[in-house]
This record gives sequence, structure tokens and C-alpha cells, in this order.
Amino acid sequence: MATTEIRFSGSGGQGLLLSARILAAALARQGRNVAQSNAYEPVSRGGLSRSDLVISEGEADFPLARRLDYLLILDAAGLGVSDHLLSPRSLVLADAELVPDPPRGDFATRALPFVETARSLGNPRVTNIVALGTLCALSGLCPPEVLLDRVLAMTPAKFDRLNRDAFAAGLAMAVPEPV
Amino acid sequence: MKDTTAPAAFDVNDWIRQEQMPHFLCPGCGHGIALRALAWALHEQGIDKDRLAVVSGIGCSGRLSAYIDANTFHTTHGRPLTFATGLKLARPDLHVVVITGDGDCLAIGGNHLIHAARRNLDITCLMLNNEIYGMTGGQVSPTTSGGRYTSTTPMGNTEPTFDACALAAAAGAGFVGREVTMQVLGLRDLIGQAIAHKGFSFVEVLSDCTEIYGRKNDLGASPEMMLAKKSEMRPFAYRNTVDVPFRPNHLRTGVIARSDRPEYGAAYRAMAAGLRGEGGGA
Amino acid sequence: MSATIRNLEGNEACALGAIRAGCRFFAGYPITPSSEVAEVMARELPKVGGTFIQMEDEIASMGAVIGASMGGVKAMTATSGPGFSLKQENLGYACGAEIPCVIVNVMRGGPSTGMPTRPAQGDIMQARWGTHGDHAIIVLAPASVAEAYSETIRAVELSETLRVPVVVLLDEVIGHLTETVDLAAVPETPEVWRKFATGPREGFQPYAVTEDLIPPMPRPGDGYRAHCTGLTHAPGGFPTQVPEVATAAVTRTTDKLALHRARIESWRVQDAEDADLLIVAIGISARAARQAVRDLRAEGLKVGLVRPVTLWPFPEDALRETVARSGARAVLVPEMNQGQLVLEVERVLAGRAPALRLNRIDGQPITPDEIAAAAREALT
Repeated sequence: MATTEIRFSGSGGQGLLLSARILAAALARQGRNVAQSNAYEPVSRGGLSRSDLVISEGEADFPLARRLDYLLILDAAGLGVSDHLLSPRSLVLADAELVPDPPRGDFATRALPFVETARSLGNPRVTNIVALGTLCALSGLCPPEVLLDRVLAMTPAKFDRLNRDAFAAGLAMAVPEPV
Repeated sequence: MKDTTAPAAFDVNDWIRQEQMPHFLCPGCGHGIALRALAWALHEQGIDKDRLAVVSGIGCSGRLSAYIDANTFHTTHGRPLTFATGLKLARPDLHVVVITGDGDCLAIGGNHLIHAARRNLDITCLMLNNEIYGMTGGQVSPTTSGGRYTSTTPMGNTEPTFDACALAAAAGAGFVGREVTMQVLGLRDLIGQAIAHKGFSFVEVLSDCTEIYGRKNDLGASPEMMLAKKSEMRPFAYRNTVDVPFRPNHLRTGVIARSDRPEYGAAYRAMAAGLRGEGGGA
Repeated sequence: MSATIRNLEGNEACALGAIRAGCRFFAGYPITPSSEVAEVMARELPKVGGTFIQMEDEIASMGAVIGASMGGVKAMTATSGPGFSLKQENLGYACGAEIPCVIVNVMRGGPSTGMPTRPAQGDIMQARWGTHGDHAIIVLAPASVAEAYSETIRAVELSETLRVPVVVLLDEVIGHLTETVDLAAVPETPEVWRKFATGPREGFQPYAVTEDLIPPMPRPGDGYRAHCTGLTHAPGGFPTQVPEVATAAVTRTTDKLALHRARIESWRVQDAEDADLLIVAIGISARAARQAVRDLRAEGLKVGLVRPVTLWPFPEDALRETVARSGARAVLVPEMNQGQLVLEVERVLAGRAPALRLNRIDGQPITPDEIAAAAREALT
């Protein structure tokens, strides 16, 4: 069964599980089937945290990641654990600041300023929403307005404006890499 | 809570499943007296047998539920309070009485006792204390007096004992009392108060095991054992007038602790009703 | 999107399925990786007039569930390996006294505390044989979140109608997996209840031998004033040690499940008709096998899958017939333990086809690639 597989990885507390859940909700609204599985260390903050989405038409045969299409790495804690899932079909999106040495190989890797952008918006905690915007634009998995709608529905209303800005900045970041 | 107007005269046979007679208790065992006192108290409280659930554990005390003409549940060792908790929460309309023993309630079921007392769900718990595991042949229990011989204390018991009432009271039981089987009327009245109490009520019944414990420790026949036990007792009213040492010498009888803190089932249902917008409040 | 389509976690699906089937009492104790079942029940049950209680330990939560069910209310608990072991004593009581109840067991690495957050399938035998004595029990093994929902509904229904404890056996992957589920895929049907005792109070026998071997259950308050005991009991409900009465009492509970086997058993087959190799798997291992079968078929290899949904009683005729019809040369049993399901497969096949093993006990799920590799090796 054809699947699209996405991994959100980084450090506990970066909102990776939430952003995966938001994308999963948006995809379900688009009629896609999503399987989400998480792994984290038994600490609330820090340590490896990851969340995988396996997207399929109908129930996936195997609901866990096998060959990643998109790997998001927001912290060096997320390095190393996913390399065996990368193939020429993969696109790695790594934070330019916190992931100084992202995986490179026979797949595309882009270092992007997710954390820096969030900081410039006034709160590094929206790094996950910035990344979600970029992922949305690069993958074309679902219309940005559908995903933004879920972002706003699944986060506290007092952050609406900040999340809108973060999402827009993420979308804008998805321009083709200069040659 | 009175369901019906109680008939004037008490006849224990109204409460006993005649087809289960003769009972299996040994001659001289105090548990039969406790059973009679319970039936009498149920009668006086006007409890409807159809809405009475008696839940018991394992041991000599556990077998008593089978003799009572009610909805009876003979459960697992030490766990009757857990079954009773589920039953009472699911069916608040039932009167739930637990019959347990010193081993059942204080050893294997000790954790359940303290949490039942803490929760304060409306259950009446009768602990028949005969200081021994009678059913299994006479092993030491948490209430076996110091120096006493049992099959597992062949050189005499060196372990200290539990004061079950102090334990239940400390854990928050809404009503705590103790009586000796020799004082049948006092026991009846104490159990009656426990049944009437809205919340977790705990009654320690000082029973006797003549056949095993008495014989092994040369304590005489049942009357001697009861008299000895009675001589160790003093009513709660005298508590502050004499020096009361810790067990085993002198235990208080009567109502030992009482409080009217909220009954758990009602508190939960009020919370749930509020959640469903049915009002009612606390 | 329809309002019934939701992204649900496996544990959450168990809780919602139970509520939909009419479960109105839950007693539990926190344990990874099943605590979410209790958390959802704590939130949802009071909304529908039910009761949630967190008891002082696993033993107490099993006792409370049985007590609630004896009161005539559908009841469930959830736990994981070590907690499941603690529940076995009272589970034996529920088996002996025929008290309907549902136990969700989300399997994690073991023995003992093991790897609490990592998946395993090491309780396949504990679920069947964990309690003491000869007893009947049903174990259902969902392999998806949708099935966690539908099988928990079925667990409540089987438990009620057959007066038998039912275990819903998940592995940690399925318990913590979120999948898109259409809750409306399970058709609306009338709520299923146990047979309650009706008719004359006089001479009522709570364990009377009926044609369907399922004695109607007296509900406290209905006037039967029956006795219920964990001691081996005669049809009247009171203890017995008369040899033939004792034999009949235990035999009826096991005969009961045999009689209703057609209703209990459930399994799925995939690409089995012409298979040279059949895979038998449950839970997440079955999902990996499903993918492996697809991959191997694409390579032209004739491989199929038999997936017991009802794990116990094991759908033995289905396996025997599928093997016979396909003419499979061997059976491969991937499981996250040192080999438990394979023992039952070997017993059922009794040498008709060799049962090959593929095991992992490192807290990692078996992958489709591993199964495919083992299958290729078996076929060469």
C-alpha cells in the first residue's frame, strides 16, 4: 500500500507530538487515513521525542514508519535515530541553528531557520508551528487553510495571532533552495 | 435508612436460610452469636432483605454470608471490601454489609480496609476477631495475643498485634465500634448504629475460637474464654478515668469514633449530576 | 468529514467502545501503557451516568468490577502485565462464579516491570491460563484502533450474553497508536444484556442447567436473594464437594464456551487460498505481516495470513482448514515474545505443517521486512 511517511523529531517540550497531531487532524478532515505513533523518553522536557505519521488511503497495512518521505529534525537530540529510514525519496528538514550536522546522503537535506524565525516572532515555542507551515508548503499534503484551521482549533486562543504569524512565516520559508 | 416498618418480634429464623442448617461452626464458636446480633440489628433497622447485600471474604467468618437470607456474595480472601465497593457504587439503593475476619480484613485485606475507611463509602463492615486463622487450621493472625500458641507460632507469638478500631478510625471510618460476643444486646445495638450510619462503619466483634485457639492455649471452654475476654473490656465511657494500656490487656468497647464527613457515593453522584447539568450540587 | 470519523488512540477506542456497549462502571489502577483507558473513563463515565473509581491497587479494581457486575451493571477494568497478574486471583472468581466483566490488558515488555513503555506480546498465555484451576475465558486481540473499538464492544457483548470474563489483549503499539477511525462503521444495534433471572422466586436456582448452558443471573433487588460463591457450587448456588456435582459445575462453564464457539470465534484471512506459506499473527505483528504478504505477493511469492481476532478460544478449525485448503508447506508465527502463539499453532496443526518461529523481545515491533525475509527463507 502506498503511504506517505513523516517523522517529527527533536527534543521533548518542542511541541512535536502536538504538531503531528494537528497535521493528522487536518489530513483526516481531507479524507485521508492517518496512523500516528509516538516515542519519547520518560521525562517531560528534553530527551529524544518523535512522532510519526503514516498517511494512506484506507487503513495502512503497517501503521509504523518504514521509509520516510519527510523527516523534520528540530533538535540535535533527534539525530541518528532515523537514518535507517532515509532513502532517495526522503526530504530532511533540519533546524539550521540547533541541528548543526544534519544527515546527508542520497536524499535532499535542507537546513532552515525554524527556531530563529520563531524567536524573531517573539516566542521560540512556536518553532513547531513554523515548521508545520514549511512542511505543509513543501509536501502539498493538505491545503494550508485546512491545516491553519486545525492549528487554531487545537491550540489556546490567546496564541491565535502568534500561531497565524508563525504558520505564515513557515509557508513563506518553503521557497526553492537557491542553487 | 428504614425500608419498611419492622415487625415487632424478632425471630432469627426469619433471617436464616433454613436449608443451609445445620451450620458448620464449631461448638462454642462466637461467630454464631455475631450472626444472630447482625440479624437482630437488621430486623430492628427495618432492612428489606431484597435490598440487603451481604459480602464476605474467606475464612470462618466468610462462610456466614451463606446462612443469611439476602443477596449474598462469598468472595475472595481479603477482598470483600473491594467487591462491596463496586457493588455499592453501582447499586447505591442496596444496603451493603461486609462480614470479614481478623486475617481477612487486617492481613491480606489490610490495604482495602484503610482505603474503604478513607473513602467513606456507605458500607457496614463487621470484622469478627477470633485472633486466629481457624479455617486453615489455626495459624497466627495480626490480632493473636502475645505469647499465644498457634500452628505457626509453636514457641508462642512474638509479634505485636493490631488495634483494628484505632486503624479504621485513623484511616477515616465514619463510625467505629467494638463489642464482645458475650454482650449480645450491646453488640446488636452497636451493629444497628453502624448500619444506620451514612458512611463507612466498622465494627470489631470480639469472638472466640474455642475449638482451635482455646484448646491450643488452654483457655478453657467457650464460657471461660468469653468471660476472660469480657474482663479485658471496658466501655468507652471509662476511657479517661483509668489508664488504658495498649492491647492485649484492656480494649475499649462501644462506639469508639464517629464523624459525619461526606459519604463518598453521594459526593461522586453529585459531581456527576453537576457535570450532566442536572444540578443538585454537593 | 463525517462527525463519526476521528483520530483515536487505541486505548481511547477501548474506553469509547465499552461505553457505547453500555459499560457504566470502571475501576482501575494506574499502569503504563494502559492508563489512558482509565483517564478516558474517568472523564466520560460520569457524563453518561456511570461510575469511575481509581482503587487502591489492581486487586481491588478487579474486585470492584466484579462487585459492580454482580449488582447488574456492565463493568470493565484495564491494566498491563504486572497488574494483570495481580488481577488473576479475582479473575478466577469471575470465571468460577460466571460474572460478566471485561479486562483490557495492554502488553508491555516483561517479565516484572520489564520495559513499561515498550511493546511486547508476552501475555498470550497469561491471558488464557493466568488464573488458577480449570476455567473458561475469552480473549480478543485487536490489530488496529478500529478493532480496539469494535472488539471492545464485542467483548462487552460476549461477556454479558455468555456470563464469562473477556480479556481485550492489546500490545503497546496498538494501545498507543492513533488511527483514523469511523465510529459509524460499527452498525448501531440494540444494547446487549445478560439474561437476568425472571419468574418464580421460590426454588430459584442461580446456576441451573439450561439448554444454552447460560444460567440467568439474579439481580440484587429483584427478590431472588441468591448466594454467589467462589467455592465450587451446585446449581442452587451453595458449595458442594459431591464429586459428580463438582464435575458438572466446572464442566458446564467450559462446555458453555464450546457450545457457543461459532459466536465467539473470529479470524481474518488474507491471500490464503493458494499460499505456500501461511503467517499466523496477532496485534502489531499481524499488521507487519499484512504488509509483508502484500510485498511478497508483489514479488510473486505465494504467502498468506491467518489472523486470529478471537485469540482464545483459538479458532483452531479455521486454521486447520485454511492450511489444508491452501496446501501450505509451512506456517510462520511472528510474535513479540519467545514463542507462545506458536505453541498453540503447533498443537492445532499437530505436525500437518511445521510451525516456524520469528521472535523479538527487545521492545521493538517486528517489521514487515523481517517477516518478508523469514518468509523468503522458508520458501527456498
